[in-house]
Amino acid sequence: MIQLYNVTKKYGGDSTAVKDLTLKIGKGEFVYLTGASGAGKTTLLRMLYSAEKPSRGQILIDQQNISRIRSHQIPYLRRKIGMVFQDFKLLQSRTVYENVAFALEAQGKKRYEVSKKVYQALKEVGLEHRLQRKPLELSGGEQQRIAIARALVVDPLILLADEPSGNLDQAVTFEIIDLFKQANARGTTVLLATHDHSLNQRFPRRVLTLDQGKLVGDQQPQRV
Amino acid sequence: MLDKIRYFILRALRNMRQWPFLCTASILTMAIALATVATFFLVVVNVEQLALRWTQEIQVIAYLEKAPSQNDLADLTQNLNNISGVESVTYVSQDDAMQRFKKQLGEDASLLEGVTSDLLPASFELGLASKFRNQQGIASVIEQLEGFLEVDDLRYGQKWLERFNSFAQMLRFVGIVLGGFLLFAALFIVSNTIKLTLYARRDELEIMALVGATMRFIKIPFMLEGAIQGLLGGLLSLFFLTISFVFIISRSLNSFWLTPSHFELLFLTPNQQVILVLSGVALGILGSLSSLRRFVRL
Ligand SMILES: Nc1ncnc2c1ncn2[C@@H]1O[C@H](COP(=O)(O)OP(=O)(O)OP(=O)(O)O)[C@@H](O)[C@H]1O
Ligand SMILES: [Mg+2]
Repeated sequence: MIQLYNVTKKYGGDSTAVKDLTLKIGKGEFVYLTGASGAGKTTLLRMLYSAEKPSRGQILIDQQNISRIRSHQIPYLRRKIGMVFQDFKLLQSRTVYENVAFALEAQGKKRYEVSKKVYQALKEVGLEHRLQRKPLELSGGEQQRIAIARALVVDPLILLADEPSGNLDQAVTFEIIDLFKQANARGTTVLLATHDHSLNQRFPRRVLTLDQGKLVGDQQPQRV
Repeated sequence: MLDKIRYFILRALRNMRQWPFLCTASILTMAIALATVATFFLVVVNVEQLALRWTQEIQVIAYLEKAPSQNDLADLTQNLNNISGVESVTYVSQDDAMQRFKKQLGEDASLLEGVTSDLLPASFELGLASKFRNQQGIASVIEQLEGFLEVDDLRYGQKWLERFNSFAQMLRFVGIVLGGFLLFAALFIVSNTIKLTLYARRDELEIMALVGATMRFIKIPFMLEGAIQGLLGGLLSLFFLTISFVFIISRSLNSFWLTPSHFELLFLTPNQQVILVLSGVALGILGSLSSLRRFVRL
């Protein structure tokens, strides 16, 4: 599903955020991406949804080489990918419903289809009773669940999450990981960047470790 | 398709409702910019119109070496009338000239006692078609006239015409430079206002791009919004201009500075009014599109 070959990303002059990275993530996998601050996790994810272009190397998403993708193709790449961020990236002036519907409308879905899917997605994250609220009236955990509903409402092939629980407490974090696991169980490939090792202890999965832009670890979960 | 159009219009309207201040700022900026340019346009048009009025007084006076005989007079008048550009021919005999002169002198007419009328020359006064009330036109009339008329002297306000010509040229030059400058300033201000409004909404733009909206999908509501705001700005500027114009007329400010009689201030013609409003629409669309590029990187 995700393949990288000798991918390097340099910003400006000397700083190399990602160095000669080669890795493969199969369809339906659930993978943690860890590493110290500045290791290059965010940069890697940004390259996957084509917010950055690699300086060198090839990236394949769903068999499509995106290293030299044309800008008019980027929207179609992003429709295959759901994204969740630490800061939620919700529209504060829109209701919960509108925030989730936004993703479907942006893809040109019909109205009756939109309302049905939005309701379903919000139900899956347990917020179907908050449709008409504004994000700021909700807790951080609830806001992140809206963002997850927005990412999942389009049935993405891949879910990318960058520190999704960075601002949330442990209990809420586990709730959120649960949502990711449910999506994963339905076939979505999940790549989750995090500092939080407790996640892997509680839900052991494959772990990729970056250090100064290089891949220094790729561990499969130990079978108990 | 209709569903999509409906969606885009609804989005544009909702966005405007959601950002009433930004929306008002854009509309007002565009209204003021358009009104300024249109006002300037009206000033130039009216001054030019006024100047054209003045040229109506232009005529060619040909003073004759000797008064023509009664027989020749009819032929000469006929020939003069045939010159292209000549609209009217008036013969002023020596007696007529003396009468006029006396009238002009008024009380001092007694000075002329004992002076015979052959002191003053007879003349033809030629009224010109409006196309010929300029240097080239007059030159062509004179050339033809000198072919058959023995002329002692010609008067056609040479000095005045030269001055008028340089004035008209200057007016046009200043008009183009100042008008261009105004237009440029208006574009600059409008596009910056729109940039500000988009800056306030950059989150929305970013998120749209993240969830896979195409550039077209992002652009259309903003373009529509720009068009609606431009339309309102255009109508507002037209309203403002009309009010000011009516005010000026009602104060009869026109009789104060417009000396020629029967001169009416010109307002925008219906066509120009439509153009003004459409310029608002174009301004709104272009302003939105040019600013959007800055905020959406795909
Ligand atoms: N836009 C940018 N311009 C220049 N350098 C950048 C840019 N973004 C990231 N970097 C640099 O690239 C390196 C990797 O950054 P990145 O954000 O990918 O790390 P990270 O693993 O996500 O860190 P964190 O855990 O703190 O989020 C850092 O040294 C950072 O300074
Ligand atoms: Mg990061």
